[in-house]
Amino acid sequence: MKAGYKNVKRMTTFMRINHWVVAICMVAAVITGLYIGHPYYQTLIAEPAVDKYVMAWNRWVHLMAAIIFDVSSIVIAYLYFFSRFEKPILKLLPTPKNIVEFFAVFFNLITFNRVKKFDSSHADSFNAVYFLIFHLLLVWMLFTGLQLYVQGLESGHSSIGDWWPALLHWATDWTVAFTGGTNMDVRYWHHMSMYFIIVWVMFHIYYEVWRTIFWQEGDIAIVFGGSKFAKEK
Amino acid sequence: MDRRDALAKMFSAKGVRVNTNRGEAYYEKLRRTMEKRLNELRQTPAATKMDIQKALDAEGLSRRDFMKWASAITAMLMLPASFTPLVAEAAELMNRVPVIWIELQDCAGNSEAILRSDSPTIDELILETIDLEFNETLMAAAGYQAEAHLDEAMKTFKGKYLCVVEGSVPVGVGKEWCTIGAKAETFEEHLLRVAGNSAAVVAVGTCATFGGVPAAAPNPTGAVGVQDIVKGKPIINIPACPANPANITGTIIHFVLTGQIPELDHLNRPKFAFGYRIHDNCERRAHFDAGEFVEEWGDEGAQNNWCLYKMGCKGPMTFNNCSIVRYNSGTNWPIGAGHGCIGCSEPQFWDKYAYERPMADADIKAPTGGVEKSVDQFGLGLLTAAGVGIAIHAAVSATAGKKDEE
Repeated sequence: MKAGYKNVKRMTTFMRINHWVVAICMVAAVITGLYIGHPYYQTLIAEPAVDKYVMAWNRWVHLMAAIIFDVSSIVIAYLYFFSRFEKPILKLLPTPKNIVEFFAVFFNLITFNRVKKFDSSHADSFNAVYFLIFHLLLVWMLFTGLQLYVQGLESGHSSIGDWWPALLHWATDWTVAFTGGTNMDVRYWHHMSMYFIIVWVMFHIYYEVWRTIFWQEGDIAIVFGGSKFAKEK
Repeated sequence: MDRRDALAKMFSAKGVRVNTNRGEAYYEKLRRTMEKRLNELRQTPAATKMDIQKALDAEGLSRRDFMKWASAITAMLMLPASFTPLVAEAAELMNRVPVIWIELQDCAGNSEAILRSDSPTIDELILETIDLEFNETLMAAAGYQAEAHLDEAMKTFKGKYLCVVEGSVPVGVGKEWCTIGAKAETFEEHLLRVAGNSAAVVAVGTCATFGGVPAAAPNPTGAVGVQDIVKGKPIINIPACPANPANITGTIIHFVLTGQIPELDHLNRPKFAFGYRIHDNCERRAHFDAGEFVEEWGDEGAQNNWCLYKMGCKGPMTFNNCSIVRYNSGTNWPIGAGHGCIGCSEPQFWDKYAYERPMADADIKAPTGGVEKSVDQFGLGLLTAAGVGIAIHAAVSATAGKKDEE
């Protein structure tokens, strides 16, 4: 290692695996979700009734991606409070220290790194808040998506038991009233929120690259190797 | 409805689970309830001279046709087959249940759907035999005579009649445009007066249930559904535009049989009719799963009866039994005729469902309120804004930013 630098661990193996699983699920969910909302390629080209299952496959991939997403979200929600590595909740509490740090990092971004008055070796409050926004968006997608899903389970039965649709109704029926009173409103907001998530991802990728270039601490390596470098004081 | 009320109602909803097998004990108890009720009804005098036997004879329909119909209705009501004789008996006693049918802001389309048929089905004949005490479209009386008859019927059958309502209730600034009778009673007052003495209220058609077409934006009369006005009465909603006569008959038969209203979902719709989506029993469903869509009217896909999803079919979001019961004596229904479902039995359908575009192209109001934009247009705008912001930040960082020293 280059003199004057130390190696700082920032993501555990699980966190990195989770990151890439979520990233792949998200791309899959966007591609298939857009097809479900408006089938943008057509299957007229094949002979009728020749092993075609295009919409069904799209829905299968979408629902699979969604359920992996959902389980991942539950694990992440747990880790917010009980992670043995870093508890993000500690960076989210509105303590004076966290608030000062949040604005210091934000200021660093909008001054194009001309001002940098915080320790960039550990996860900061700005980062924690930004990821919280992502996780809230995911929770919103989870509730609206499961509401759209359970509309097709009217029989009250499912392959894993009657508790599953009952639980989904109990947990997600409020989204109908909350979004405007119809199933169409739920679908509308589920679709709209996809764009908010894509915007979030755009900035996320940009910011990681930007940090790597301007902070010169190898931030982009965190998600692959789990660590970055920090200058020794 | 106030959003907080709606939320509270959602949480207290019994769920949409349609339970088709409740076990021996339940059905035995139900049978006893029904037998008792039918006995009571038989003791009361028939209110009209018309009965189902006469109606059947007039149409040349046999007892066998009638029993076939009774078994179909039994199945529709999700009762075991052994209930068929009770259902048939209830149909014969229909002329003992007084019905007052009032019309508010409507086109009389639901009445038309029931009455205008060159070969009436037994569903429609049943509705002819009910003791219809008052109906603006059908009755011979007019003016003071009609008003007097309504008052008399309400007094005679107080607490016993079914109040059927067709049409929405204007309660906004335009409500004074709609009055009825010599006393210029507003529709709201009229509804409250008639519903007040009834045993139960049946809102027929989407206007009466959710406001329907009169409540579409900008809703000049402030139209709302019956359930938003009438409180403290059992309300059964039978939406759709027009409501299917089979579902109206089923609901009334259920009332005759049990004296109670059928099991309802969170929007007060009978679960036997509105427990499933159009999509789930659609004859074109396989083409949906296969990704075979009609791309434009009259194309190859349309000729092959492919899925109408891309032509704006709202079957996947619409709860109704059209795909099983169909319309006009089971002759056909919108999707069978080659047009997608417009979601006419869902709340706010005119604004949010009735367009010939795929669901993702929904041209409904953006959160900003005023300007109408589709989600994708808004989303692309959002992405562009984010991209421009990032590009500006990147450019300024590259030119004016300070890179930390290695």
